[in-house]
Amino acid sequence: MTGLAWSWKSLGRHRIRTALSIAGIAVSSAMLLDMVMLSGGIEQSFTELLLARGYQIRVTPKGTLPFDTEATIDSISGIVQRLRAEPAVAEAGAVLGAALYGRKGDSLVTLFGYGIQPEAQALYRLDSGADLAPDDTAGLLLSSPAARLLSAAVGDTVELVGRLDPQVATAAVRKRLAVRGMVDWVYDYKDQPSVGAVLTVIQGLTGRRTGDQGSLIMVKLSQDSAAASVTAGLRRSFPRLEVNSVADLARQFKQRLVYFRQLSYILGTISLVVTVLLIATLLTITVNQRLAEIATLRAIGISRRTVVGQVVAEGVLLTLIGSALGIALGLITARYLDDILTSFPGLPAAFSFFVPRRGTLTTAAVVLLLTGCVAGVYPGWLAARLPIAATLRAEAT
Amino acid sequence: MIRLVRPAVACLVLSLPSVSLSAQTTPTASVAIERQLATELGLSVGDTIRLATAADSLGWLFTVGAVYEPSADPAEIAKRERHLRLHLADLAWLLRTPDRVDRLSIGLHPGISADSAVSVLNRTAYGYRVYSAEAIASESSQTFLVVSRFHRAIAVITIVASAVFLLCIMLLKVEERRLDAAVMRFVGVRRRTIFLALLLEALLVAGLGSMFGAGLAYLAGAATNAYYRRFFDTGLTFSLITPEIVTFSLVLSLVLGALAGGVAAWRLVQTRPVVLWGRG
Repeated sequence: MTGLAWSWKSLGRHRIRTALSIAGIAVSSAMLLDMVMLSGGIEQSFTELLLARGYQIRVTPKGTLPFDTEATIDSISGIVQRLRAEPAVAEAGAVLGAALYGRKGDSLVTLFGYGIQPEAQALYRLDSGADLAPDDTAGLLLSSPAARLLSAAVGDTVELVGRLDPQVATAAVRKRLAVRGMVDWVYDYKDQPSVGAVLTVIQGLTGRRTGDQGSLIMVKLSQDSAAASVTAGLRRSFPRLEVNSVADLARQFKQRLVYFRQLSYILGTISLVVTVLLIATLLTITVNQRLAEIATLRAIGISRRTVVGQVVAEGVLLTLIGSALGIALGLITARYLDDILTSFPGLPAAFSFFVPRRGTLTTAAVVLLLTGCVAGVYPGWLAARLPIAATLRAEAT
Repeated sequence: MIRLVRPAVACLVLSLPSVSLSAQTTPTASVAIERQLATELGLSVGDTIRLATAADSLGWLFTVGAVYEPSADPAEIAKRERHLRLHLADLAWLLRTPDRVDRLSIGLHPGISADSAVSVLNRTAYGYRVYSAEAIASESSQTFLVVSRFHRAIAVITIVASAVFLLCIMLLKVEERRLDAAVMRFVGVRRRTIFLALLLEALLVAGLGSMFGAGLAYLAGAATNAYYRRFFDTGLTFSLITPEIVTFSLVLSLVLGALAGGVAAWRLVQTRPVVLWGRG
């Protein structure tokens, strides 16, 4: 009989006990898997989101992160021209983000407006209709929530209003634009009503045309591997601006969500400890109940190594079965937990906290397997140092 | 009646002065800076700082008039932003936006309902929107509601794991008493007495274990608070163990302990003593 079959038979002797242990290991493994996914998922998901359109660098006002404050960069077109002249830069596009109003009948609805340079944009994917041309100052792009809010579709005309003046109860600036296309804004939170027009249009609506102001510049490099060195070079060239690579931004974002990362480490560790305790307790009691059997096996010539191997194999078998169930349970609970956390206000709808990946699953599986082996060490040691004659004599009486 | 005006909020660039005071044409105004910022920059009351709206503008000189301890705000701790406070007129002048603010706070006369005032003001509002303090509190607490829901979900998983663990341990604990139970049966002790003894033992173990667990939780909570208060430099409480939580844990442990111990003890007393002795 092989060690595994022997272990299987041994576990089958006490079905309720084994079932409860497997259930305990499954829940602990599920928790461990979720926490492993959470610890790495935040950074990975954020990095993927930032690189969704392949732009590796963001240039923002000094001391700020993209769209973190209302601070703007003056003379942004000139800076974009300088950036585009850099040999390593493939594309660079300015963005201005600001609150706007859209007219719907007699009322105004609040919108978020993106001013973009269509020839170099990394903010949206076109769903239907046509994209904006770089010089299209009469065109508009809508997100689905904005289209619903304005009851507008491709081909309709929408009036955008900027800078309301409460003193005289009138709009300082207004502009009628034709809806060219429906787009999916990559960084929008769920149900965010966003519209997009060329940079100069949004600048005009928000009173930022004179100073040629923008919120940020997105830079795409010819080579991904050059991101760190080009970022350092741009920091030297533009000391009055904040230049960050996607890796820098991911690091800062991770710092903001440090609580969740630390929580994942703590809960992951507790899950492992619970799993080890559960398996070790079960195996220890099993060994204690089978002292006579183990002593007999040793008396007829079965080696210590085989006995220890059998005890450890029993732990590994328990872990394997529990972990297999735990992985399935973990994936289900991860989806549920992700639904909760992604409902954070202002978080991009495409963001995910729990990201299941082959690497993550492998790490969790290896850690659990090691846990099973570690848990079997103490009961294995008990079985190995069993005094054969004394045990047999005690059992006989 | 408008009682209080909240100054405009802006992102400013702060630097220590490196040019002569003669470059400034207005008197030096005073600012209040938060304690963390003062510590980071080594500033104290009476020092002079330069504030500008952009990194490449010259800005204006201000005197540190006060260093204040910011109120603990859970929404701000993770951002690690640093704040300073200016008189409204000074900030408006610095931003070149006279007579413009982000928000106004309005105090109502006693007896006037906030909701009806909001409704009246919003009917005539143009270019602004009015909210009651309750609505703002509800909106700004959304983040914490999400965190709270997440914690509750994690707590449910933890409780399930703990319950299974407890059931398993209690089952093993009772099964360990097979020989004792056999001996007691051999000497004529009644099944009911053995069952009650084992049940009592299970309850005792569950009660002692949960009390030890509550003590451990207090220690872990204290360590969590100490760590995060230091980490975020705040006086916020991160872990709060209430009597209700302790009571819930104790009751849950006792119920689960009784259930597991009872089932295991029942199975044990139903087994023939010879089998329990290992000779059946």
